[in-house]
Order: sequence, then C-alpha cells, then structure tokens
Amino acid sequence: MNILVCIKQVPDDSVEVSMGKDGKPEIDGITPVVNAFDTYALEMATRLKESLNDGSEITALCVGPESAKNSLKNCLAVGADHAYLVNDESIDDIDSIGIAEVLKNAVEKLAEEKGKFDLIFTGKEATDAALGQTGIYLAAKLGTAVITNIIDVKVEDGSIEAKHETEEGYRVIEAAMPAVLTVTKPEYDPRYPTIKNKMAARRKQIDEMNISELSALDEITAKIKKAAEYEPPKRSAGIKIKEESDEESALKAIQMMVEAKVL
Amino acid sequence: MERISYNKVTNDIVELLKKACNGHVLTGDQINDDFCHDEMKIYGTAMPDVVVEAETTEEVSAVMKICNENKIPVTPSGARTDLAGGPVAKYGGVILSTIKMNKILSYDVDNLVVTIQPGVLLNDLAQDALSKGLMYPPDPGEKFATVGGNVSTNAGGMRAVKYGTTRDYVRAMTVVLPTGEVVHEGATVSKCSSGYGIKDIMIGSEGTLGIITELTLKLIVAPKATMSMIVPFPTLEEAISSVPKLFAAHLNPQALEFMEKDVVIDTEKLLGKEVYPKELDGVDINAYVLVTFDGNDQDELMDTIEAASEVVLEAGAVDVLVADTPQQLRDAWAIRSSLLESIEGNTKLLDECDVVVPITKIPEFLTYAKSLQEGHSYTIKDFGHAGDGNLHIYLCSNDDDKEAFMKESDDFMKKVYIKAVELGGLISGEHGIGSGKMDYLKDFVGPVNMRLMRGIKKVFDPNMILNPGKVCFDPEESYAD
Repeated sequence: MNILVCIKQVPDDSVEVSMGKDGKPEIDGITPVVNAFDTYALEMATRLKESLNDGSEITALCVGPESAKNSLKNCLAVGADHAYLVNDESIDDIDSIGIAEVLKNAVEKLAEEKGKFDLIFTGKEATDAALGQTGIYLAAKLGTAVITNIIDVKVEDGSIEAKHETEEGYRVIEAAMPAVLTVTKPEYDPRYPTIKNKMAARRKQIDEMNISELSALDEITAKIKKAAEYEPPKRSAGIKIKEESDEESALKAIQMMVEAKVL
Repeated sequence: MERISYNKVTNDIVELLKKACNGHVLTGDQINDDFCHDEMKIYGTAMPDVVVEAETTEEVSAVMKICNENKIPVTPSGARTDLAGGPVAKYGGVILSTIKMNKILSYDVDNLVVTIQPGVLLNDLAQDALSKGLMYPPDPGEKFATVGGNVSTNAGGMRAVKYGTTRDYVRAMTVVLPTGEVVHEGATVSKCSSGYGIKDIMIGSEGTLGIITELTLKLIVAPKATMSMIVPFPTLEEAISSVPKLFAAHLNPQALEFMEKDVVIDTEKLLGKEVYPKELDGVDINAYVLVTFDGNDQDELMDTIEAASEVVLEAGAVDVLVADTPQQLRDAWAIRSSLLESIEGNTKLLDECDVVVPITKIPEFLTYAKSLQEGHSYTIKDFGHAGDGNLHIYLCSNDDDKEAFMKESDDFMKKVYIKAVELGGLISGEHGIGSGKMDYLKDFVGPVNMRLMRGIKKVFDPNMILNPGKVCFDPEESYAD
C-alpha cells in the first residue's frame, strides 16, 4: 500500500509564547518540532504498515521552511521510508486552503513517480494555529473521502474502517480508498527511534520540490487575512479549599458554588 | 555536655516575636499540619509552638536574638520537602520559615552569578536563569524544594555526574548565627585560601549551625542542546557495567541514571505513558540506563550518542532509543522524575536510604540489599544515579503495623549501611542525616568525628538552640565532651 503522511513543523507547544512588540507571537527561540497530531498520524500509519507487512511504504511530506528537513529526518527515523519538502520560504502569506492546494499538487506529482497514494494521513490540526482545516481541504481538492479525528484504522478488502472520536466515545466509519484521514491522540504515544534508524535517517537525503513549479502564486496566496493576534487573558488563581475532612471540603465547595449561583 | 532542657514559649515571647517580624507569626490553630512533618513522616511528627515567617535578614536576626536569650529551640524550615526529618521541630519552640524570602535579587551576568533569598524554589531559579540563557546546574529530583534547603543538605541530583553538587555552586552567603549575629561568608570569586572555610561548613549542615538568609550562586552558560538515550538491558549487572565504559570512552554525560523494570512499570501506569520497552527482539528487559548529553548543537550530540551507543551495545544493551525532540526528552525524564511519587503512591509504610557507593559496586550492593527482603513483609524498590553511585533504596510495606515495620527497617538499615561502608561508600549521598539517620551516622563516623561535629556546633550555637535533635546533637543525651 502507498501511504502519505503530511506533517507541519511548529514551535514546541510546551513553551509559553509571549507577544512581541510587533504584535506577533515571539517564536524565534522556540525549538521547531513536528506537530504533535502529525506525530500520532505517522505512528498510526507506521503501525498499519507493520501490521500489513506487505511491502507498504510511507512517504512523509511537509510544506515548510528549510529547517523542516530536520523534522522530516525525524520522521524517517520512526517509520517513514521517503521524505519530501516543499520549501515555502519564498511565500509570505499562505493559509490552510493554500497549503492544501500545494499539497494536492505535490500529491499528484509524487503519484507520477510513486503511483497513487491509497491513504493520506495527517494530524487533525496543528498546535500553533489549531484550525483543523488542511486535511479536509486536501480531501475536497483531491475528491476523496475524508474521516476526521480518528484514533484507529484498519484496512480490509480494499476499504478502510476508522474510529472517529466523539465526545462520548467513537464512531466506526468505513470508506473506500483513496481517503484522507485526520488523526487525533490515539491510546499510544509515538515511538522513540532506535539508534540504527536514527543514524540511517541522518544519512538520507530529503528531496525538495519547488513550490512555484507546483502552484501558481495567486492560487495559494492567503484568502484569509489575520487582523491581529492576542495573548489569552491570564487566568486568576483558584481558591484552595482545605477543611478538616474531604467531605467537609466538598460541602464547602458546593456551598461556595451555590453562593456564586453557579449551581 | 549535660542534657539540655529548653524554655517554653510564653505569650510575652510571642509578642516579642510579632514585634520582631512585622506580625508574621502563627500560633495555635493558625499552624497548619504541614509544619508538623516533612516528606518522611515515619521519622516522627511534632507541633511547633510558633511559626515565624521572616522576610528579611534583620527579622531573622531579631528572632534568633529573642530565642537565644530565652533558650527557645528554633527549627529552620523551607518548603519542607526534606527526607530525613530535618525541618521537624522535634523539641517544639519556633519554626523559622524562610519560605517568604523568595526573591531572586540580582544577576551578575559577566561574572556568572545570581544572588537570591533562600526561599526561592529550585524550579523558579532554574527557569528564570534559563530565560537568560544561563543554567543553575544542581538538579535534585524535588524541583519545589527551596534553594536554601538544597544548600543545607548539599543536594545533588541528576546532573551531579557532570556538574557536581550544590556545594560547587555556592559562592557566598549571608548567615544569621543562633546568637543573632549576622556574618557574610565567601565572595563572588572562584578561589579561596582565606582562613577556615566556614561557608563550606554551613553547606550541608542541615540548619544546625546558622540560618542562611542570602545566597550568591554560580551559574553556567546554558548548553545549547541536549539529547538523551534510553538504553534497555537484560540485567541490572549489564546496565551498570556499561557506566565505567562510558567514562573510559571520554564521554561526559550530563546525567546517567539507572532504573529497574518493576518501578518503571508502576510509574508509567501512574503517568499514563509507555516509554520504556519491556521486551525487545524476544529479549526480556529488566533494567534501563537513561543518559543525557549536552553540547552546542544536535549534530555534535548525535556524534556523541553514536559513540555512546557503540559502548553500551558492546556492554550488552539490547538496543538504544534516542530522545532528541522536546516531547521525547520530557516523557523519558518524566518517568525518572516520578519514580518516587509512584513508589509512595503504592506504599503505606515507607523508609528509605540514599547511600553512595563506588559505581562498580552498585550491583553487589543492590543484590545484597534485595537479598535481605526474603522472609520479611517489606519489599525493596530502588533506582539511582548510576553515574555517581548514589542509590535510592526504598523499603515498602502495605502492612498497618508501623512499629513492627520500623523494627524491621532499623535492622535492614544497619545491615545495608555496614555493607555500603564495607564497599567504600557513605551512608547519605544527598538527603542528609536529619533526625532519621542520626544513630546510623554515629555508628558510621565514630565517636571522635561526632565530638568534632558537636564541638563545631557549640562554637556556632553556644546554647544549642538551633535545630536540636538533628545530625550530631540530641539535647536528651549527655555527652562526655
């Protein structure tokens, strides 16, 4: 099976971001990493590849800056067999629909040499700008099925069965291939690379595709304009309740909520 | 030295203390249960008569003068994360808390030092320094201890293998003596050949000689990158055997820890994360070494990790897993940092020791310690700093009979301390003596050393009021000296 995993490089999301004087988030000093949901997508794809054990291959694809080659090498160390970067440093302003357009064109170009992709995995959203649009736009542009927020996937008789997470649990959804799957946090974490895979990935080349050859500039320039970005308001400190016993603490909490007319 | 008795805290003394401390004095019901114990309740709990929350050196000095004149015992207290009973007011009196003295006062970036008050939490100092591109290297597991407390126990931690312990980072300090006199020790310099090293006697004295009210600490420029490797081994012996080989290969890890499978499994359950492999290529994994290197960039570190991998694979490692993304580093180290929490969560009665032995003797020591659990109601759990031989061994029981447990524990501790010393080690690497380990210290260092320590205490504390019942002096005992 031919599997594609689309990744985005984002600033490490555990670091608290503050706003710079120019009104933009200060992210220059923050370590760039693969978007967490994309790492789940790659792990899910790798587990699928291993379970199929039929010579299936995974290609990782990223639209991003030159430095994203390091993120792609990390993908090569944990399951991806090939990796491609579409360098977007020449484009100032691109939004989800523009990225999806570039990805669609890259998918079609890669299909010429690698054959069509049966499954395209990506994270349900990015942790830097959590819009959750790219995967869905990509499916629309490719004219394929899309199953969002999945936590597990199986392939049987040429079709897929995925668990789509809901607030109460999950729904099982079947679709024909090719399909786009957007992945949320499954029950497991992404694997650590072994030294052997890490060294092999370090030596591998990351192939580049030229963004201007893939898409015309006016097709991918952002349609959405960011008016301004704001820091979230600081949350005030909570109230600590520590009565003699747990029961008394619970009663006190209820009493306070009643007084505050929350209950 | 005769047995010593102290005076009670009267209402008049409380009023004097209030005057001295801007009213920051707690009595009776205002004293929270947290002031009665540290993290090892098993060494005893005690209620102080008064808690004073001082905010300045002058206030600490005034409190000490009042207590010294009235022969009231005073127990210094930070975040109360001690593991040996140190901040428990065994003989009542005053707890002098420095928790409100929590300001980072100034940085001297050119001389790589920071001046702080003693109640600054380790975590806050580490984060603040890092935001300036600097690192405070001592890294004990408990990040919410105060730095003053760390200095008082000469805390070590994970990075001691490369950077040393807290002692190596204290440049200068302001100390209030038990008499109320204020002295300054050390300076913002790296060398000292200027008389007796009183600063160094203060470090590790567990609040028995004076109260530290200001600290000037050495910092280093923070390494630009770190990378860890998780190394699974079939046996603990093989895991430990890799450690001297890493040093011999001129590899200089920032941290080098060992863990065993059972504790790792419990901790992974607690954190809801599975990081460490339990089986690889059909081989059962029973022990892990977790190694961190720091350096200038990822490429340089990858070369180091590659070289280190050759060494550990040669020593019997089944594979090497690399953690080089922030998330992977956090997860791998979160397990290590939560081992004690997980042991505590699964145990009703707990005692511990933190012996330090030569690295090559770790397996022999642990085999011996584990052999003692046979026929007893307790089980032994352990982990530790493979890079410096400092072991954390926990005696765990889920029985309810505390008295029987303490008896078994005493017997165990005596045996393992004898073994540690026989192997060329010491009875505590970083947790200190407090009240919990006093008897063992006596056996270990002998009467002459105990006399010397008491003599030093007497010079600092003529009325023996500061933290009585800890380290080398108990007021209920009479001494020949």
